[in-house]
Amino acid sequence: MSSAPLSAERLPTDWKSDAMQRRIARRYASERRFRAVGLLAVLLSAAFLAFLLVTMMGNGLRGFTRTEIAVKIDFPASPLKLDPAAITDRALAEAGLPTMTGAVAEKALGPDGDDLIAPTAWLAIRDAIKDDPTILRRTATIELPAATAIDLANKGKGTPEAEAAVERLKKAGVLSTGFNATFLSSSDGTDPTQVGIWGAFKGSLLTMLVTLLLSFPIGVATALYLEEYAPKAWWTDIIEVSINNLAAVPSIIFGLLGLSIFLNFLHLPRSAALVGGMTLALMTMPVIVIAGRNAIKAVPPSIRDAALGIGASPVQVVFQHVLPLALPGILTGTIIGMARALGETAPLLMIGMRAFIATPPGGVTDPATVLPVQIFLWSDEVSKGFVEKTSAAIIVLLVFLLAMNGLAIYLRNKFERRWS
Amino acid sequence: MTGPAILLLLAGLGAIAWVSARARAVRFQTAARASGRRDAVHSLPGFHGWYVALWAVAPAALFLAVWANVSPGLVTQSVLADPAARTLPTDAFARSAILGEARAIAQGDQAAAFNPASEPLVQPYREAGSHYGMAGAALALVLAFAGGAYAFTRIRADFRARTRVERLVMALLLLASLLAIVTTLGIVASLLWESFRFFSMVSPVDFLFGLKWSPQSAAMGYGNNDAFGAVPLFWGTIFIGAIIAMIVAIPLGLMSAIYLTQYASPTVRRWMKPMLEVLAGVPTVVYGYFAALTVAPALRDLAAAIGIGGASSESALAAGLVMGVMIIPFVSSMADDSIAAVPQSMRDGSLAMGATTSETIRRVLIPAALPGVVGGVLLAVSRAIGETMIVVMAAGLAANMTLNPFASVTTVTTQIVQLLTGDQEFDSAKTLAAFALGLVLFIVTLLLNIVALRVVKKYREAYE
Repeated sequence: MSSAPLSAERLPTDWKSDAMQRRIARRYASERRFRAVGLLAVLLSAAFLAFLLVTMMGNGLRGFTRTEIAVKIDFPASPLKLDPAAITDRALAEAGLPTMTGAVAEKALGPDGDDLIAPTAWLAIRDAIKDDPTILRRTATIELPAATAIDLANKGKGTPEAEAAVERLKKAGVLSTGFNATFLSSSDGTDPTQVGIWGAFKGSLLTMLVTLLLSFPIGVATALYLEEYAPKAWWTDIIEVSINNLAAVPSIIFGLLGLSIFLNFLHLPRSAALVGGMTLALMTMPVIVIAGRNAIKAVPPSIRDAALGIGASPVQVVFQHVLPLALPGILTGTIIGMARALGETAPLLMIGMRAFIATPPGGVTDPATVLPVQIFLWSDEVSKGFVEKTSAAIIVLLVFLLAMNGLAIYLRNKFERRWS
Repeated sequence: MTGPAILLLLAGLGAIAWVSARARAVRFQTAARASGRRDAVHSLPGFHGWYVALWAVAPAALFLAVWANVSPGLVTQSVLADPAARTLPTDAFARSAILGEARAIAQGDQAAAFNPASEPLVQPYREAGSHYGMAGAALALVLAFAGGAYAFTRIRADFRARTRVERLVMALLLLASLLAIVTTLGIVASLLWESFRFFSMVSPVDFLFGLKWSPQSAAMGYGNNDAFGAVPLFWGTIFIGAIIAMIVAIPLGLMSAIYLTQYASPTVRRWMKPMLEVLAGVPTVVYGYFAALTVAPALRDLAAAIGIGGASSESALAAGLVMGVMIIPFVSSMADDSIAAVPQSMRDGSLAMGATTSETIRRVLIPAALPGVVGGVLLAVSRAIGETMIVVMAAGLAANMTLNPFASVTTVTTQIVQLLTGDQEFDSAKTLAAFALGLVLFIVTLLLNIVALRVVKKYREAYE
């Protein structure tokens, strides 16, 4: 070693000197500060997530309940022309229930009675008659959904007049809070007391079905080809580059693609789950391909060599040995891709899935909406009652997403094999 | 015959073909084994089954696919040849409306006619439809039988059924992987085509460098084509996505990654890392609603309280803040990866020299991981400028060129949504402008992604 000799003047560091002690203290303080800043960053992110979830819960849980007003109805005295022995949908539709409900409410609750109950309260009476036609021969008490203003006041966010009305109703002992089954079973509407998410939920399921049926086989086939068979050539490079780029293209661009190709060029039905699913499938496919390639890469070459060694053809090797071993990893990637597609809104807006759809879709070509789009549509509603409905729909969407991600994690933990 | 019934019948035929061909191959096999020549049969019986089944189903299915596109035209022609069609108006538009209605009634999509002229055409439509439907079904079945019979006569003990079936499987795999190229080409072609039409009405220079954006007034006929200056949109996009969001996301994401990889105990890491990932999994429409409902009003009140003018209930700051939070997990996982890729020996060396952990991180790890971090930030910017729902719900529609974060600005993606969700006519500059904006967005995000991936890759190679 020919290093330069230590200069004679330089003495060993005096770690006990005041200057050195101060310097060390400063460095340690800076270390603690840095660490605290890091912790703060993590906590800030966590706090934001918690704030978001708490806000949504606070608003949304109220959306699952509704205020009901018990109203006593004397059916024999009412002007209904209904025969308890022959209740048909047509007879019910023509019996004049809406007018009768208003009159009944005014009789029971005072002159402003009709304003206290929801415009669709007569549906509750209709359902009660359907359930038990003999109700028409006696006096019965039926819980009618309250109007939005009363509902909000009862939950603590009402106008002064509505608060006063709620006080009065509470004193009369007719006010109660019940589970809002309508929210789970009905579709979009104009009145916040009667809207529900079933239509959007069904639309989401149909869209996801189309997406899965298209993107899973194609994605797995692409991953198998690229990882197992593709020769190293310029055109396989192009395939790889385009898959990686597609995975990073903004989702709204896929919406533009769906609009110009599927709708304007192929003339497929607007606003349908079919087109939505096809558009989302193009978006999901690269995610599945990338996850699938990683899973296939993780299968050790010895498996392939052994199968080839006893005379299996390359196709048999892949379909009977590699694919079964890689499937858990591919499925995990697929579920994550599907979860992303389930939360996607922008491309679906482009293909017209923002229409007002009041009946659940019956098939993939019917006009449909999906949960995120329904949330977007409700968020634009001016009526105050929609705030809690929007948040409630968000809770449903988040629960669904969490369940999917939980399933993915479970699958990964259960089936993941470490090859050593 | 209806479509589903035909498909079911085809599937049934395929199954029969599979079973019978397989049974025949099993007989070859046993015969060959009995005569002691075990290697006389080339393929397993299942491959013979697949070979015949494919020949039975594939040609017929291809024919049906073509037929489904050809037959409506034939049906319409034969309806027009019907005596009842002679009274149709000569105007092409009215004609096709009446024909369309008659078809809808004939297919049961519509209960009754609005236009009485379509009533007499319903019966010819039904007749022609069932005629051509039967013809198509019969041809398909003939094809299925012919294909199946041809294949069935070919299978013998030494027939290489496996090779043929596998060749088809390989072709299908290749076809699937080509779909990525087709999609990319589809995106580029549709964006280019519609943008080209737009640029034939509005000069690209006006579009890229103009300062005034008001497509509504252009659509109404006044102001005309100088209202498509997109610079305010570009500014809004950069202001929200590349400035405000990154001011939030870079420090939080980077410091979170550093804390979780270098300081946190394994338990903390096990809980906090998935929690950060949840932030990336929340749908953007939820973030958008949160920004519009909670964050934006709070910020407006704050601005009013500290006396900043021009505060709007839809502000760049609200959208940018929430978007920044959404981006945190992307930055943090990229930073995490690149810090983990720095060789442990460099970290150990620094610590052995007496540096504290934070000094090691700041002076050794971060500089070494910088290209990866920068690549991650570029990817995050690309994601932020392509993000739609948060800005649609929280950023506003006013095309302002402002530096005031409390003011309302608009972005490229917001305008695409706005332009394409009104009444759509695909020959107006207003609608086509959305595709031009989409083209710009596509090119910019593509460039960002390519550069980012280059940077990350180059740096990875340096250590491996």
